[in-house]
Amino acid sequence: MTLTTTDPNSARARHARPPLWRNTAVLKWFVQIIVLLAVLAAFWFFAAQARNNLSAKGIPVSYDWLDDPANIQLGEGIQTVDDPDGRRLTMSRALWVGMVNTLRIASIGIIAATAIGVVVGIARLSNNWLARKVSSIYVETLRNIPVLVQIILWLAILGSLGKLTVDSGPIPGWVIVSQKGISIPRVFFADGFYQFLSMLAVFAVPIWWVRRRMRRTQEEQGGTQRIGSVTFALSLVAVVIAWFANPVMAFLGPVFDGISDAWAVIPQGLMQAVLSIVAVLAAVTWIRRFLDSRRTPAGLAKLIDDDWFRMIFAGIAALLAVFVVVRGWPGLSSWIINSGSDLFGVIGDKFGDGRGSRPLDAMKPTLSEGRFVNYGPTGLTMTVFYASLFFGLVFYTSSFIAEIVRGGIQAVPAGQSEAAAALGLNRRQALRKVVLPQAFRVIMPPLGNQYLNITKNTSLGIAVGFSEIVQVGQTVYNKNSQTLAVFSIYMIFFLACSLTISFVVNTINRRLAIVER
Amino acid sequence: MSIADNALTDEMASRDDMIVCRGVKKWFGDFQALRGVDVTVKDREVMVVLGPSGSGKSTLIRCINRLEVHQEGDIIVDGVELTNDLRNIEKIRSEVGMVFQQFNLFPHLTVLDNITLAPIWVRKKPKAEAEAKAMELLERVGIPEQAAKFPGQLSGGQQQRVAIARSLAMEPRIMLFDEPTSALDPEMISEVLDVMKDLARGGMTMMVVTHEMGFAREVADRLVFMESGDVVEVGTPEHFFTNPQEERTKLFLSQIL
Amino acid sequence: MTDTTIDTAPPEAPLPSPVRWVRDNLFSSVSNTVQTVAFTAVLLGLLRWVLGLVFADESNWVSVATNMRLLFTYNYPAEQFVRIWFAAGVLFVAVGASFAAWNINPSITLRRIGVSLMGTGGITLVVALITPSATPSGLRTAMWVLGVALVVIAAVVLRVIPEPHRRRVPFLGLLIGVSAIVCAIMWFVPFGDYGFSEGEPTAADGIVASSTRVPWTVLFIIMIATYVAGRGLAQVVSLAPLRRAMIAWWVIGPAFIVFMVLRDPEFDWAHIWSTDLPMAAGFALGGGALIYLLAAPGRSDLARVLGAIVAAAAVFNWVAAFFGWYPMLQKARFSFALAAIAILLVPNFAGERSARLRVAAVWAGFMVVFHWLLTGINTASTLDITAPPFLGGFVLTVSIAYYVMLASFPLGVLLSLARTSKLPIFRVLSTTYIEVVRGVPLITVLFFFSIMLPLFLPSGMGISDLAAVFAGYTVFSAAYMAENIRGGLQSVRRGQYEAADALGLTTVQRTSLIVLPQALRVSIPNLVGQAIATFKETSLIAIVGGFDLLRIANSTIPNQPDFLGQKRPALLFISLVYFVVAYTMSRASRNLENRLQAGQAR
Repeated sequence: MTLTTTDPNSARARHARPPLWRNTAVLKWFVQIIVLLAVLAAFWFFAAQARNNLSAKGIPVSYDWLDDPANIQLGEGIQTVDDPDGRRLTMSRALWVGMVNTLRIASIGIIAATAIGVVVGIARLSNNWLARKVSSIYVETLRNIPVLVQIILWLAILGSLGKLTVDSGPIPGWVIVSQKGISIPRVFFADGFYQFLSMLAVFAVPIWWVRRRMRRTQEEQGGTQRIGSVTFALSLVAVVIAWFANPVMAFLGPVFDGISDAWAVIPQGLMQAVLSIVAVLAAVTWIRRFLDSRRTPAGLAKLIDDDWFRMIFAGIAALLAVFVVVRGWPGLSSWIINSGSDLFGVIGDKFGDGRGSRPLDAMKPTLSEGRFVNYGPTGLTMTVFYASLFFGLVFYTSSFIAEIVRGGIQAVPAGQSEAAAALGLNRRQALRKVVLPQAFRVIMPPLGNQYLNITKNTSLGIAVGFSEIVQVGQTVYNKNSQTLAVFSIYMIFFLACSLTISFVVNTINRRLAIVER
Repeated sequence: MSIADNALTDEMASRDDMIVCRGVKKWFGDFQALRGVDVTVKDREVMVVLGPSGSGKSTLIRCINRLEVHQEGDIIVDGVELTNDLRNIEKIRSEVGMVFQQFNLFPHLTVLDNITLAPIWVRKKPKAEAEAKAMELLERVGIPEQAAKFPGQLSGGQQQRVAIARSLAMEPRIMLFDEPTSALDPEMISEVLDVMKDLARGGMTMMVVTHEMGFAREVADRLVFMESGDVVEVGTPEHFFTNPQEERTKLFLSQIL
Repeated sequence: MTDTTIDTAPPEAPLPSPVRWVRDNLFSSVSNTVQTVAFTAVLLGLLRWVLGLVFADESNWVSVATNMRLLFTYNYPAEQFVRIWFAAGVLFVAVGASFAAWNINPSITLRRIGVSLMGTGGITLVVALITPSATPSGLRTAMWVLGVALVVIAAVVLRVIPEPHRRRVPFLGLLIGVSAIVCAIMWFVPFGDYGFSEGEPTAADGIVASSTRVPWTVLFIIMIATYVAGRGLAQVVSLAPLRRAMIAWWVIGPAFIVFMVLRDPEFDWAHIWSTDLPMAAGFALGGGALIYLLAAPGRSDLARVLGAIVAAAAVFNWVAAFFGWYPMLQKARFSFALAAIAILLVPNFAGERSARLRVAAVWAGFMVVFHWLLTGINTASTLDITAPPFLGGFVLTVSIAYYVMLASFPLGVLLSLARTSKLPIFRVLSTTYIEVVRGVPLITVLFFFSIMLPLFLPSGMGISDLAAVFAGYTVFSAAYMAENIRGGLQSVRRGQYEAADALGLTTVQRTSLIVLPQALRVSIPNLVGQAIATFKETSLIAIVGGFDLLRIANSTIPNQPDFLGQKRPALLFISLVYFVVAYTMSRASRNLENRLQAGQAR
């Protein structure tokens, strides 16, 4: 029962609309839109100034130079000059080499820094006094000296090593340590590698199936099936077969080429249409979901002004996206078509006839004319620039990772390990089953931050002349003055890196959270 | 319609209504917390709101000083309708005092500063005057010796009494209490209830969400029973505790008494 | 160590016997013993390697000793050094007064002193034992003597003095002790005088030059005297005004030192009397009077209307500047904008007469400092500075770090408030800014600002290299600052917002009186962490062209004809400098954190 009354005598008008300048809903949006306009105006102002100033200097912003020949010599990387295969080193390719160098040093650095950091972090919690002291000196020293100073110090130290000869280094002929860099034997992907990999993928399906069946049997009948051993044995057999039989997969070459050709003939209009539809659909779905969230059993809830503003903004954003795709930047769709086709073409090239059967091969360091060989089958070489950047980054970051690991383990309440001990788990079991899973959740987010930091700090390679993206970019804009364009490439590249890393970290974190429940 | 309800309907038109809620509806996302609530509180009246948890009691009194924004219906407080009008919100907030379940004292300010903050910054009172008033209020709630301490140094009951003094410092015409004793240890409940009884005797218009039935029986002029966002029954304490009309009310009272 | 006191605080547990300690901590189990052996090997290996770097034949430490002045103050003219000493003196007074104002007096037990002496002595002995043959023999002997002496003193402290764990050395004693040791080192240790004859460095067994050691000694005495005076004052009067004065000083003081003392502006007095002074007075007094009038209760609508008008005028000023309609000093344009903001905010801070007077006085004081500093910065310098960069070396590193923190703080607060706001456009703008800036490396931001900023400015406006780099640092740092403060904001419970709303506080009042004080207190440790990070990041100035510590060590010194290619000693030296500063700050921050946690538990 509800009391239903109206008050006809009341002089107070129902829903008296307050005047605009005192209406909080209006004021709120008014202020926001004013600020938005001010920000846009500032952007427009600066952009206009930059355009004028650059035009006055005769260097309007464009991206046409990307296909120009670079005429620069890169220190190291997958392609440092116009290579013998006839591929020209264009500007875009030079930047690509820089990105690959950045990613290479970042990914290896992440692995190394994590390994060292975890060991040092655990040593800081050791029951041994010396272990605690040495690891805390390590951490305090390294994290209180700027990483750039460390990198340059490494360069100074490595630069004063001996001259480069085949015999310099601890194991003559195999490990070379000299003022030109460090080189060790290298295992590399030979011609058959991709065929080998795809064959393994084919084998993975039956192995997975067997595993699932065994697990089901175990759940139904109890007892222990040797799931782990069987999987391992089968995988071993699969690897052996794939190692020798990989030429069978050569047929994949034409298949990928076919896909590449098919992709290339997609008309630009179609791609534009698809992109526009995706944008509009995204907006519609968002609005639909939004309305759903405001839906009640008794029908749609009353929408407040905010809700309307939000939906209108979503619509405007979609229309803007469509405009960009169709009119503003038609190159986007043709770029997607071309690069998609290129991608499959490149994959196709990895397969096909005439491929050697060995997937992996190894090679000792080789020298020619007193320098490391840059290309082809040779040892795994770190130039002195790479090495100083690498050591600087890895040791610096490992000190932070050690602190994160220590903090994470300490964050697990003592009651947890006490409870585990009370249940009769031994120290190792308690650590593996109780403490570490909980510590991992605390560790993961700041660890992701450190990974991001390593990736960003590779840009300090510019100080030692390592050809990472920022250094290559600087060389490029010093040549053609296309500063703004190069900076936009920097930004997109690093944002892509950071988004990828945070995506991975978030995914792991979510999985851990689910596992925990 | 019961007799009590008819009587109420007539009263609602009268001029000394302090709080009038008409058909108030409120959604949180797709959950409807208030399904058209009609309640009137008269001047110098103590209204106690009862109901199981999740029945919308707290939401209702939080709507009355616009901590939550209702989506349909009218709320008129002391003749001022609650709308988006900035001036109305300012006026109502400074005329309606509120006491929270979790006290919500400002931990970085001393007790005295907690109490004088709003009079100085909102009412623009001279500092000396505000402090004199604050000391007077602390006397009234019985803890003048704690003026220089920080909230973290007080017990729960003392904190809640400071919170009441803080609201009273604004000289409100209406006081809202949102389960003021629920977060307290049993031995501290009575000291807070005593202060509230004092206030009621002094003629303050009060709207109280509570589970303290003794307090409701002793102090309330009228009680409202709410369940899942609806007002189920309104009446005097006698009516409620001796002769409730609705099945749901009876069930609730049998569980709680 | 004479003035020890038996303290009343709970005593620490007594030390176990050395044999027992070794058994418990180094050989308690098989794995423990293995760790001891392994880490001994690691420690000795690392130590030997580092000593090898320090004392190698090819390391010429004379390069550092000779260039000490370059490393710290770069090209600051020697005949003007009295300015540096004055600035340092002001700084030391401020440090002493701040210690006194916040009653910072950690005392340390004799036992902890003994243990750390023992550790230092032990490490010195190990170093003396394994140091490579290239080490000068005198230094090696000194190491042995010092090591033995420290160990003996430590043994006396720990074993002879009764109950060392209950005797505490008060803070004043520590201060005097540390100062005395530093001064004694400067006065008596023969570091050597370095000069050059025909390109060859010549060393004599000299002590630190008296032009350096006398001022430093005086500085230490001044600091101690200030501390003692401050503590004495605290017995008589309340410390609150002193604290407020110290906060104000730490905010504006460094700017005063750099732009007024070290750089001594050459004021154009005619222009000052005709333009600058009237303008500053106008804004300070006129604005102050207006604010006083508008701060009366009940004038909030009038204040809003007037504020909107002044804001429109301020915007129009910039539009006019863009189209060149009429000339106006840039600082007047900024003052108009600030006045508009102040007037719009005034209703939030209205009150009785004294409150109104205070608000008006704050405005007037702010305007005076603002105009005075801008005039000083914008004016040519009387100081004969031969090298184009006015600041360099350690001074540059420290001041950039300080100003970046100072400038990015308000920006960070605004960004974090916007990011936690309920208003979606603010949130999106702020989040975009923060995430984009945090997603790209600092060096690209610095390059962007040093190369692009001049291009973004209207023709006729220029910006110095260092200012552009400074802007880049600030923009970068603000994003991180915002994230640190956001953590604090999120720790403020919802009930605090609701209580403030229920009392009728406005949004500005709620934010400034309730939310921010609590949030900032929680964020202090993170903010100190960021200060350390910023301090370390200043080394990137070397890449974008400033003459900071790193640039001097890595390219200036190795290019001097006497020290061609000598990079390692200077780099090791600046590593030590960075380490000492950053480590001190992080230790201080940890102590502060403990104090704050103790305060929370109160």
